[in-house]
Amino acid sequence: MSKVRTVGWFEQETQILDATKAARKAKLRVVDVYTPYAVHGLDEAMGLSPSMLTWVCFLAGLAGGGSMFALMIYTSAMAWPLNVGGKPFASVPAFIPVTFEAAVLCAALTTVLAFFVRSKLFPGKKVVPLERVTDDRFALELLAEPGEARSFFERQGAVAVQEVP
Amino acid sequence: MTSAGKTMKTQMVALGVAVLGLGGLAFAMFQNPQWGYTNLLVCAFFFVTLAAGGLVLLALNTVAKAGWHIVLKRVFENYASLLPVGALLILLTLVNLLSGENSIYEWARPGVMEHDHLLHEKAAYLNSPFYVIRMVVVLVLWLLFSLRLRGLSGAQDKDGLVERTNQAVRWSTGFLVCFALTFSMASFDWIMGLEAHWFSTVFGMYNIAGLLSSSVAAVVLTCVLLHKTGWFPEFRIPHLHDLAKLLFAFCTFWAYLWFCQFMLIWYGNLPEEGIYYIRRWHEGWQPLFYLNFALNWLLPFFLLLPRPLKRSPNYVAAIALVVLLGRWLDIYLMVVPANFVLPPIGWVELSAVLGFAGLFVFLLQRRFQKVPLIAKKDPYLQESLNLH
Repeated sequence: MSKVRTVGWFEQETQILDATKAARKAKLRVVDVYTPYAVHGLDEAMGLSPSMLTWVCFLAGLAGGGSMFALMIYTSAMAWPLNVGGKPFASVPAFIPVTFEAAVLCAALTTVLAFFVRSKLFPGKKVVPLERVTDDRFALELLAEPGEARSFFERQGAVAVQEVP
Repeated sequence: MTSAGKTMKTQMVALGVAVLGLGGLAFAMFQNPQWGYTNLLVCAFFFVTLAAGGLVLLALNTVAKAGWHIVLKRVFENYASLLPVGALLILLTLVNLLSGENSIYEWARPGVMEHDHLLHEKAAYLNSPFYVIRMVVVLVLWLLFSLRLRGLSGAQDKDGLVERTNQAVRWSTGFLVCFALTFSMASFDWIMGLEAHWFSTVFGMYNIAGLLSSSVAAVVLTCVLLHKTGWFPEFRIPHLHDLAKLLFAFCTFWAYLWFCQFMLIWYGNLPEEGIYYIRRWHEGWQPLFYLNFALNWLLPFFLLLPRPLKRSPNYVAAIALVVLLGRWLDIYLMVVPANFVLPPIGWVELSAVLGFAGLFVFLLQRRFQKVPLIAKKDPYLQESLNLH
């Protein structure tokens, strides 16, 4: 028998946490969990490895700040040295605010873009959302034998169970 | 029994260090008043800001109606309970202010006001009687708020009334407004007044940033030590993680204001403003100037970036120690160059730091033995115990 994707809906935050932990204990494959808000402790319950997004953010910040700093040094000290108020050409303190802004801007935009790419989100994409998971219910999606998943959800107190294609 | 014995031992050691250090400092204050009182001011200001910092952290969280901090609430309160001692210590600097020729405040030396036009213009504000009144009023205000807020918390331990929390929210709001104004004034008076020709409007804010980062660092260190010795099982990794995030944020806030003050003065390049940095950026002070920035921002920022590291107690405690050291250096750099062309770092600095640290640890530990560590009837306690 082939495995199918089965979704179970829960009404409480604690139920979804317990069910997710129990599913991993019972060696059922957790595909994803959908919740109306960020539930604390769900990352650990799902056994997710630490996100790589932080590294994207850090490196993009370094790249943004570094390149902006290099641009300023190049334009005001190398390509066309400019005397501003008798300050040195490469006036590092004066460059810091712009470097900081560029680092923040680059880190923020790159992180958001990386998130969209990683989650395969783009304008015009059609997704049929699970019912009520953006409202008041918590859904757990498992990949398992049809009967196995259904009985698991019933034991955990799911209010609705559905197989999805 | 063994843990009680250990507590006794640490207490005796702290007291011994305090007596030796403060003895050395007192000797210096007689032998070389400028050097001695300079160090007294540095350490007393650090002491007062740490104590007031406990109250600020408590009030900030209370106003925000936060729940995560309730487990740590008594640590904040116990810091605040050291305010009376801190107030006495800072009041000791008045002896020097009023001592005439030996005063570390240039404006308070006899004959200076008459011959210095710029200082003469400020005489309506910079005069000893008004200075003393301001200092006393500020300290009394903080003490009253501290008594009230700690009193409400203690009363709630007995009756468990939710109304106590609501009252604490109102008192905390008042305290924060009052503290922002009075602490700015206090840092202008006590620290900026050392170089009375110089002025910086962001100075008060800059000191509040330093107060916040050093207070969080001190709280981290206290909690980790209490947890390690088994007194504080309620303190868990999520609490540490939140404190580490605050430490990270406040260090960055400090750096932001440090740079704000520096860059505007550097860019403007006006003599009466620039003199402050000319003293600190040249000769023997320069390495300390850079070290200050490294200890207070560069190291804590990069070392606290990764998430797993923010969740390891010994590591965060070590960084907290770095930030505390940095804060001492920060105050030292604000105070000492006013009267010393070269850093006089020597036995007086060592005895002042050890003496004050010993006194602080001794008093704090006694306080922890007196009050229950957990505010067991606080309505938000469960939220804090379950913190994730």
